[in-house]
Amino acid sequence: MTSRLRSLFHFQESGLILVIIGLGIILAIFGGTVPKRVVQTLPNGDIEPVMTKNAQGEEVPMVIMRNKFFNPQNLAQLAKDSSFIGIMAVGMAMVIISGGIDLSVGCVFALAAVLAANVLHYYGPTGAGSASPGLGLALGIATCLGVAALCGLINGALVVALRVHPFIITLGTMTIFRGIAFVVTGGQSVTDFPPMLQNVIKHETGEELYLVPSLVMLVVMGLGWIYLQRLAAGRRVFAVGGNELAARFSGIRVERVKLAVYVISAVCAGLAALMSLGYYGSGSSGDADGYELDVVAAAVIGGASLTGGRGSALGAMLGAVVLKMISSGIILLGIDQSYSKVIIGGAVITAVVMDKLNTWLTQRRLSRAAG
Amino acid sequence: MKKSLLLVVALAILALPVRTTAQTETPKSLTLGLVAKAQSNAVFQAARRGAEVAAVDLGKKYGIAIKIDWRTPNDENAQQQADNIEQLVLAGANGIAVSCSDANKVTGAINDAVKNGVPVVTFDSDAPQSMRFATYGTADKECGELIMDELGKEMGGKGVVAILAGNQNAPNLQARAKGVRDECAKKFPGITILDTYYHKETPADAAAKVEQVMEANPQITGWAMIGGWPLFTKNALKWAPGTVKCVAVDALRPELSYLEDGHVNLLLAQQCYMWGYQSVTLLVDKIVNHKTPPAAFVPSPLILVTKDTLADYKKKLDVWMPE
Repeated sequence: MTSRLRSLFHFQESGLILVIIGLGIILAIFGGTVPKRVVQTLPNGDIEPVMTKNAQGEEVPMVIMRNKFFNPQNLAQLAKDSSFIGIMAVGMAMVIISGGIDLSVGCVFALAAVLAANVLHYYGPTGAGSASPGLGLALGIATCLGVAALCGLINGALVVALRVHPFIITLGTMTIFRGIAFVVTGGQSVTDFPPMLQNVIKHETGEELYLVPSLVMLVVMGLGWIYLQRLAAGRRVFAVGGNELAARFSGIRVERVKLAVYVISAVCAGLAALMSLGYYGSGSSGDADGYELDVVAAAVIGGASLTGGRGSALGAMLGAVVLKMISSGIILLGIDQSYSKVIIGGAVITAVVMDKLNTWLTQRRLSRAAG
Repeated sequence: MKKSLLLVVALAILALPVRTTAQTETPKSLTLGLVAKAQSNAVFQAARRGAEVAAVDLGKKYGIAIKIDWRTPNDENAQQQADNIEQLVLAGANGIAVSCSDANKVTGAINDAVKNGVPVVTFDSDAPQSMRFATYGTADKECGELIMDELGKEMGGKGVVAILAGNQNAPNLQARAKGVRDECAKKFPGITILDTYYHKETPADAAAKVEQVMEANPQITGWAMIGGWPLFTKNALKWAPGTVKCVAVDALRPELSYLEDGHVNLLLAQQCYMWGYQSVTLLVDKIVNHKTPPAAFVPSPLILVTKDTLADYKKKLDVWMPE
């Protein structure tokens, strides 16, 4: 039992898990309690507080006191907030492992979102195709993921064909993709989708628990883990990122691997866009503005090495959770929002240092055991 | 020893949700969430100050402690705003005031808040399809029309005008831009609108955009700035005073120098301090007195600031935003 527990804390992401547990304990203890009002919906649809009598016999609203951080709704919210970045971070981790970078993910998100939003709007309650919401939903999903895949294919093809650093290529395509998104929408946000989309993605499980985006993030992480750790195709990504020349001489078709990771990264961005469309009920060209840096930060916090050859899907997802826990913690602890960027930046560096320290300790332990 | 310590910590964490017990309390304090568009925009810092002053004034009036919980994204981010509204509800806010970066994106979060018994008011930029009970701000279409009306008069009814807009997704800015175009078409046949130029809502980006547009289109003789972002920088307007006419929205301290030196002919001051003050007043009235305004739209009139009225306006500004 002890050895199992020990082995559990010796795997690559254990440092991050300890950081998450530590942050959780701090927020649970110092976050304090919060009153939750008890409300009821009247037959006419109005919402009013449930009243009760206090010690003086006066009618007062009923409230429930609970821990600010450690309550189901807050934890579900944290998971949901992490999910959009988390889903994209899994794809980004693959690109980074292969030795590349994809700065266009936020803009792929925006372009996929607005094009899918237009399709969904057409089949929505106010659109010309309102008679076929099911068909609209299928076309909307296909558009979102298809457009994203196409963007990824363009990124990958340009990186492979032009042999220019992916930083430059994706820096260029990010502007193009967001520009197209703006031209398509004219700056207007697009809404009124078939209700089925929101019913599924914003499905309420229990009292105000919206778990679908978080579950999708877990599934994406699981698939990413299987791809990277269990499939030969995934191992080739590590080989290309670790030493491209050696990978080429050992018969790996490097171009195909690179193409694949950019497509996967973009499809992850498309999937995150789909979750956003369903959850927030609208798409606009300003969506996911600046997300690329959060996504890269999540992957790097998760252990992905910017020089390639190292990283994991689980780490990327945990990196997104750490980022969101920090930003949520600033709010829970009542710290002035003006300092949020400073704190998040400092915490990102601390998390990476702790992860490195853990890796170093593990390697030292292993080398001692070996020798 | 280590194992026992770990066990105690684990049990303490597990016990946290169990400590939730039903209880009643008379509200002696109120927490009101304030979600503006961007911390980096000075007008929202004025709104924050207005909200904080209103919290003190109304707290004294009703004998309750009112706390303003400022949850504004660093830069414009509608999704972040929606998440912040959800977090405010979870954190037990009694009411929320929002200036929407994208109305459609935050409507769901506003509706969820209201369904949870948290009243919501919008200011500056509305979410008309949401369940918010009131909105306080500038009548945007009329604001656009006023800008063009004043600019057209300054230009003598002829010339080429460029519109400077900020975030292309903000409905209030779209309404103002439409107001400018409609008024121009209606009243000034001799004036051509070149285009509407969007930019990231930071002073540096706005100033750079004006410079680029002027460089490429030297025929421009008038600027309709539906937000005054470039005027928060120094020497952003390169033309000689009077050669290009300019009417801009907002009149905060850094912008006034452009009026003084003649680069700008008229500033239309939004009462951004009052966005915060009035939003808090509306929320407290709703929560404490159960009162809602007779009409959902509560207009905030614009103040016309020229060289002649500048001294009076500065006195008002000293009250709103003491240096």
